[in-house]
Amino acid sequence: MSASKTIVISCAGMGTRLGMGYPKALVDVAGKPLLVRQLELLKDYDDVRVVIGYQYEKVIEMVNAVRRDVTFVFNHEYKTTGTGASFLKGTAYGRDMVVALDGDLLVHPEDLKRVLESEEECIGGTTPTTDNPVLMSTEMTPEGLVVTEFSRDKGEYEWTGLAQVKTSRLGTTQGHVYYLLEPLLPLKMEKIRTKEIDTMEDYRNAVAWVRNGYRD
Amino acid sequence: MKKKLFLFDLDSTITKKEILPEIAGQVQMSQQMKELTERAMRGEIPFLQSFSERVDLLKEIPVPTVRSIISQIPLNEELVEFIKENRENCYVVTGNLDVWICDLMESIGLKDHYYCSKGRTDETGEWLLGIDEIIDKGRTIRSFPHPFVAVGDGNNDAEMIGLADVGIGFGGVRPIATALLNNATHAVYTEEKLCQLLRQL
Repeated sequence: MSASKTIVISCAGMGTRLGMGYPKALVDVAGKPLLVRQLELLKDYDDVRVVIGYQYEKVIEMVNAVRRDVTFVFNHEYKTTGTGASFLKGTAYGRDMVVALDGDLLVHPEDLKRVLESEEECIGGTTPTTDNPVLMSTEMTPEGLVVTEFSRDKGEYEWTGLAQVKTSRLGTTQGHVYYLLEPLLPLKMEKIRTKEIDTMEDYRNAVAWVRNGYRD
Repeated sequence: MKKKLFLFDLDSTITKKEILPEIAGQVQMSQQMKELTERAMRGEIPFLQSFSERVDLLKEIPVPTVRSIISQIPLNEELVEFIKENRENCYVVTGNLDVWICDLMESIGLKDHYYCSKGRTDETGEWLLGIDEIIDKGRTIRSFPHPFVAVGDGNNDAEMIGLADVGIGFGGVRPIATALLNNATHAVYTEEKLCQLLRQL
């Protein structure tokens, strides 16, 4: 049941790579900001937390314009801490199962829905496309595909920032979200379709993807 | 684990309206009150000065009348329910005057569970003569044992929110002051979300 989950959307970081003056989660893709697209997919969930830091007023304003029943969690130290710190702040006092989602991830709605409707712990992986990916090695087991390792130089899939784990199993490791997941491996992998938006070309591709009904 | 304490601002946190402007409205002094309140909210005049000036404006009204006006102000009822359920651990910290808010505090179950400014009345209790003591919210808060949760919305709650283990900005009634947001760990914009979060803590 949706009621047993806490969804944590991380929007605290600067997102400066695209050269915009505001957080990347607010970038408009085919008529709607990324973050608004995510919130629409999460409309049935009643414990959605948006972690904010950089230009938090803009994020609050945009979220409140579409949905008031969101809990904002501050990471005022966003400049010096990693996404892991934001995620942990978001999970504090959360429910048994927690979903990690990056505010700037453009994900296929069906794939996000599949993860949200599952009651199992899992990690979202995609075909590697970005310049400097965090890769995941996987193994086929009788229960399906599982992630066995995170690495900068080998692996068949790219880490997406999307994961669903039991709150009680999370440690307090500093740094990236995947550092927090490493001790929990192996974890089931869900293949998800995403578009990373780092360059103007990425951006145009992402817009075309959404306009074309999430098809290439 | 040690039980957490919950500290609440009163105006626009527990009440759905600002108390002093509401009283002023009943006696046709809204405009002067509005100006003083807005200047204080913008941080242009110190809270203490603005508060004294606003109280001065309302001295002409008999104390029982003020109490009765205050008791008519709509409240965030779900929050009041939370407070009543957790009465032992809840406290109100407000700049408002004891002689004005005592009935309201009793009605929400917080008799002897509030910290506020002290007013001085004449022997009959009918007329407010002046302010004996304006609460130093920061000092009051520092006397509370950790861990505690604080909820508020205005500039004058920013210090309390910053000292709390969990400091919540509540924007269900009016926008949350930026100084407060800069000190907060959480912000919520509906009463329902506030109560959900409080119950999760």
